[in-house]
Amino acid sequence: MITRRFVAGLVATLVAAAVILVLPLFLSDTHEYRFAFVATFFIAALGLQILTGYAGLISLGQSGFMLIGAYTTTILSVDHGWHELATIPLAGLLAGIAGFLFGFPALRLRGAYLALATFAIPIAVIALAKKYSDFTGGGGGKNLTRVLTGHEAYVLTWPIAGLMFVLAWLLLLGKLGRSFRTIRESEIAAVSSGVNLTVTKTLAFGISAFFAGVGGSLYAIVIGFVNPDTFSINLSLLLLIGVVVGGLGSLVGVVFGALFIEYVPLYAPDILSWAEKPFGSPLDPQRAGAGAAVYGFSLLLVLFLAPYGVAGLLRRAYKSLAPSSYTH
Amino acid sequence: MRMRFGLLAAMLVAAAVTCVTALAGAQAAPGVSKTKFVIGGTFPLSGPAAYYAPIPVGMKAYFTYINTRRGADHKRGVAGRQIVWKYYDDGYNPANTAQQTRKLVEEDKVFATFGALGTEPQQAVVDYMNDRKVPQLLVSTGATEFGARYREKPYSMGWQPDYFAEGKIYGKYAAQNWPTKKIAVLYQNDDYGKNYLDGLRSGLGAKDSNIITTQGFGATDASVAQQVVAARQSGAQVVAIFGTPSPTVKTFATMKAVRYKPEQVILNSVSANDYVMGLALANSDATTLDGTISTSYLLNSNDPKYASNAFVKLYKAQMAKWAPNADAKNTFFYYGFAKAYDVVKLLQATGKNPTRAKLLNAARHMNWTNPGALKGVKVTTSATDPFPISQVKLIKYDGNAKIWNELGSLINGRGGT
Repeated sequence: MITRRFVAGLVATLVAAAVILVLPLFLSDTHEYRFAFVATFFIAALGLQILTGYAGLISLGQSGFMLIGAYTTTILSVDHGWHELATIPLAGLLAGIAGFLFGFPALRLRGAYLALATFAIPIAVIALAKKYSDFTGGGGGKNLTRVLTGHEAYVLTWPIAGLMFVLAWLLLLGKLGRSFRTIRESEIAAVSSGVNLTVTKTLAFGISAFFAGVGGSLYAIVIGFVNPDTFSINLSLLLLIGVVVGGLGSLVGVVFGALFIEYVPLYAPDILSWAEKPFGSPLDPQRAGAGAAVYGFSLLLVLFLAPYGVAGLLRRAYKSLAPSSYTH
Repeated sequence: MRMRFGLLAAMLVAAAVTCVTALAGAQAAPGVSKTKFVIGGTFPLSGPAAYYAPIPVGMKAYFTYINTRRGADHKRGVAGRQIVWKYYDDGYNPANTAQQTRKLVEEDKVFATFGALGTEPQQAVVDYMNDRKVPQLLVSTGATEFGARYREKPYSMGWQPDYFAEGKIYGKYAAQNWPTKKIAVLYQNDDYGKNYLDGLRSGLGAKDSNIITTQGFGATDASVAQQVVAARQSGAQVVAIFGTPSPTVKTFATMKAVRYKPEQVILNSVSANDYVMGLALANSDATTLDGTISTSYLLNSNDPKYASNAFVKLYKAQMAKWAPNADAKNTFFYYGFAKAYDVVKLLQATGKNPTRAKLLNAARHMNWTNPGALKGVKVTTSATDPFPISQVKLIKYDGNAKIWNELGSLINGRGGT
C-alpha cells in the first residue's frame, strides 16, 4: 500500500496545504478573493477528475451541476433565511442526485458520444432556470444577502476545498477507486472481474456532480450573485481544461488546473502587453479577443511541454531528482 | 488594575488611529491626487457582448482629448488633474465582473466607476459598490432598477433612458400606427429583455392582445431559428426584436433564411446602430430591414446633416488622433465619446477637493445638455429622479442609404415603473 508514489503524493499534499495556510499572510484582499475562485474551481474540477481522470468518462456537464448547487444555496439563503454555510451540504446532495440520475442514460454512451450527451446538461438546466423565473429569479439573476471580503471568501472556501480533497482521496483509496480505474482501462475486463458497470458509472456521475454542487454553491457565495448564463458550457470546458492541465488522474494536479483557469485569462492582456514590448506584437492588448488568443496559446504551450499536465511534469522532475527510484 | 490600564491604552491608541485615518480620509478621496483622477469600468471586450467593446475606447478618446487640451481655466485635464482611465474585460460574465471590479476598487483605487457595462454584470456588483461606498455611475445599461432603487443603493446610477420606458414608446407607436396588426416579440430572456417586453405591453394598453406570440432567447444561444420560425408561423405582421447586437444580427439573418418578411420591425435602441445594421444587412434582405423603427437620444454621427456639428467634428478628429485604427463609423465609439462628456462634467462638479460624497451629490444634481445628444435632450437629475436622460426620438432605418434617420419630435420617455 505505501508506495513511493503514495509518499510523493502525501508530501505534495502537505506542501500544498502549508502553502494555502500561510498564503493569506502575503496576499492582498483582491488576490485572496481570486484564490477563493481558485478554491471553487478546484472543488468542481476534483469531481471532474474523479469522473474523467479516474473513471474515464468525459463530461461537459459539470457547470450544469454547479448551477444546481449555486441556486440551491441562493434560493435557500435569500428566500428562506438559511445560513449560507448550512446550504452547502444540501447543494452538493441535490446536484449529486441530479448527476446520479443523469448517469443512467449516460450508461448507453461511450467516449465522444458521452461527451456530446453531457453537453446537454448545462443547456437544459440554464433553460430551466430561466423558465421558472418566479423561483430562480430568471435570466436576470439574483443577489445573495451579503458581500464577502476577499479574506472572508478565502477563509470560507479553502477549508471546504481541503475537506473535499480528503473526501476525494478517501473515495478513491479503496475498492471504488479501483473499480473506476478498471472501467477506464477496459469495461469488459471490469465486468469479468465482477465490477458492476451500472452502479460504478452512475456513482461516478453522482460523486462528480456532488463536488460540482459544492463548488457551485461556494461560487455563488463568493460572487454574491447568480445568473444562469454564468454556468454556460464555457465554464464546463474551462473545468475540463483545468483537469487536463493539472494532469489526468492526479488529485493534487487539480490545484494547478484551477490556478490556470483562474489566472491565465485574467492576466492574458497583461501577458500580451508585456510580450508586446520586446517583440512588438501587433495585437492590441485591449482589443476584443486578444486575451483569448493568449489563453489558447498558453494552453497549447502547456500541452506541448507537459502532455501529462503539471502533475506529469512534477512526477518527471521527481524521478529525475531521485533516479534511484527505479532500482527499488 | 494593570489590565484596565492596558485596555485604556489600547482604546486611546485605537481612537488616535481612527482620528488620523479619518483626517487622512477627509484630505483625499481614493483615486484623487493633485495631478490625477483615477477612474475605471468593466466592459465586455470579449464574449457574447463584445460588440460593445468600442465603448471604453470612445470614452478614452474623449478623456485623452480633455487631458491634452487647455480648458477655460487654461489647465489641461479637469482643473489640472489628468484623467487616468482603467478598463478591464469581464466577458459579460458576472464572476469576472466581481473580480475585475474589486481590482479596480482595491488595487487601482479608482475614485468611481463610470459607464461599466451590462445589466447582469453590473447587478452582480451593486451590493459590493454600495457596501464599499464607491460610486457606480452612468452604468451602460437601461435596466430600470439602476434608477428605481436609488434609496437602497444610492451609489449606483444609470445614464440612458430605461428599457421599460423605451418599450412603452414602441407600444404607444404600434397602438397608434398599426392598431390592427399582430405583433411577435423576440426578446432576450433576461431582466433586460423582459424590461422591454413589459414596457411594450404597457404602451400598447388595450391593444396588448395584438401581441400574438413572445419568444425568448438567450444572449449566448447559438441559434434563434426556433424563435424566428415560431414568429413566422404566428403570422405576425410586426416583429419586435429586444436583443443585444449579436442575437439581433442572427435574427435578421435567420429571417432571410426562413423567408420570413414581416411588414414592420421594431428594434431596441441598444442594437440600433449603423454598424450592427450594416452587419445585419450583409446577412439579410434590405426590404426587411428598411423602415425598422427604434429610438435614439444621441445624434447619429454618421448622418450627413450633422457633418458640420461641432461635437461630431470633434469626435471624428479625436478618434482619428487617438484611435486611428478604430472605425469611427461604428457609433458605439460615439456612444462612449458622448458619455465621457458627462463623466468630465461630473468630475468638474466635484470642485477643488473632490470627494466621493461631492461626486454623488453632483450626480444627483445634473443639469446640462450633452452636445452629443439630440437637440433639446436634457441631462437632468434630482434627489428623487436619478435618471439622467429621459427624452428620445423615434428613428427609422433607411436600408438604401444604410443610415438611421430621425422621425418626428422628442418624446418624454420616462415611464416609471
